[in-house]
Amino acid sequence: MEKMGIRTVRKINFFKAGMIFITLIITALLVLAILSLFLVPDPVDVWNNLWSEEMIFSMKFSLITGLISTLLVMVVALPIAYTLSRFQFKGIGFVKTIIDLPVAFPELVLGLCLLLLFGNTPVGKFLKLIGLDFVFTQAGVVAAQFFTALPYACRILKSTFDYIDPRLEFVSRSLGYSQRETFINISLPLARSGILASVVIAFARCIGTFGTVLILAGGTFMKTEVLPITLYLNISYGNMGMALTSGIVLMVISFFAIYIFEKAEVSL
Amino acid sequence: MIKTTLVCVVSFFLWTANMAFAADLKIFSGAGLIKPMEELRLNFERLHSVKVNTHYGSSGEIFGMVAAGRSCSILVPGAEKYSEDALKNGWIVGDTLKQMVLHVPIIAVPIGNPGNIRGLYDLTKPGVRVAIGDPKAAAIGRVAKKLLTKNGTWKQTVPNIKVYAPTVNQLLIYVSLKQIDAAIIWKDLVSWAEANGKLEVIEIEKQRNLIKTIPTAVCTSASDQIMATKLNTYISSKAGMKIWKKWGFEPCEK
Repeated sequence: MEKMGIRTVRKINFFKAGMIFITLIITALLVLAILSLFLVPDPVDVWNNLWSEEMIFSMKFSLITGLISTLLVMVVALPIAYTLSRFQFKGIGFVKTIIDLPVAFPELVLGLCLLLLFGNTPVGKFLKLIGLDFVFTQAGVVAAQFFTALPYACRILKSTFDYIDPRLEFVSRSLGYSQRETFINISLPLARSGILASVVIAFARCIGTFGTVLILAGGTFMKTEVLPITLYLNISYGNMGMALTSGIVLMVISFFAIYIFEKAEVSL
Repeated sequence: MIKTTLVCVVSFFLWTANMAFAADLKIFSGAGLIKPMEELRLNFERLHSVKVNTHYGSSGEIFGMVAAGRSCSILVPGAEKYSEDALKNGWIVGDTLKQMVLHVPIIAVPIGNPGNIRGLYDLTKPGVRVAIGDPKAAAIGRVAKKLLTKNGTWKQTVPNIKVYAPTVNQLLIYVSLKQIDAAIIWKDLVSWAEANGKLEVIEIEKQRNLIKTIPTAVCTSASDQIMATKLNTYISSKAGMKIWKKWGFEPCEK
């Protein structure tokens, strides 16, 4: 009995040690990778690059498009997530798959799809007629970010609504609130932390969108140049200093995003 | 247990390091040359049973990599200016520098020529949608800007330029998908099989054009100078020229 007991203890430790070892070694690698982005470039060079005309344009433009896209994503994602979580209708499985699809889509493919759609199709022609031109324009950057970030926001919000006990909504309904009033006064406040989390993740995705922007908006210097495009353009220019600086800015933004996300304590 | 894992990790790193050493030869090549370069690489690998690695990037990018001290065997940018600058800085071996094939700019238009483009001057017509390569990134971008400036139409063309694409391949996509009316691009690029039947070529008159040559040269940083020279000689040899021709490039010497 005693022997077996020791063996069991050993087995558990072995398992635990293996798990922790893998976790730690990957964490260490990531820490090294992140640190090297901060330690390799010359700080003076980074500081100067940060205040260059191109970088200021790119940071401002990223911030503005990121905020607009995030706002649009949330306006659309809340109803979609609530629908998928609460209502049943024919074909809901299909809708769920389509909404989730871009998560698994390479950004370049999504960019090509959008380029085709907004190009010479009736949809694209109609949009151009009412003044919405998304091909090679700054509005195109917003469109690209919107479609890239939307599925992430929908996923987080759907799982948030899934965790909210529907009974609370039933009680609200039985006390005289309408469906709309219940959504605004009960469901939304309960989903607060989930909403915060999806805003943060949507914003981070918008700021980081590269392939979709490159193909749909063209990635033109100082016109449709968001931070990831700045990184890519400067690699093509052979200007590693600027490329690394935009990498650092992106890293700092993601760091804050994830920090707030972790604080909001929601599971995906 | 930890010992075994350590041994595994160490041997993995040694193995990957070993792989990097085994690949002595490395080509830094302009992204637009990928098709002939891949065929030349495979042939050379078979001939000499060595491994040749390639890095395709914009001419600015590969020039920057050499400038940053990255070691490579041969440097093949999209225009001779990059090799001349590299020679001035002592990054390539002078006697190995060879002008191989011509890089001819043309105007590519979608099938049916919706913008009715006949020559460079038509790019200035109001409402025509034009795309060129980013002048700082792609060799074709720099050349396009230069040749429009040379012809005195750059300023009038600028309002029509809807996109400055960082990569040449984007230009190809935009023309093929009819997103623009015209793009200035290398002739050899549009002769690629993929583009066939997707676009039309409008030639630019010789005296208005800026025809470039693609050079090759051995880098001073090459770890195996002898093999690097062999590779350099092979891609500019008669057998090599056949492959360049197959992909739409014209040899410098006829």
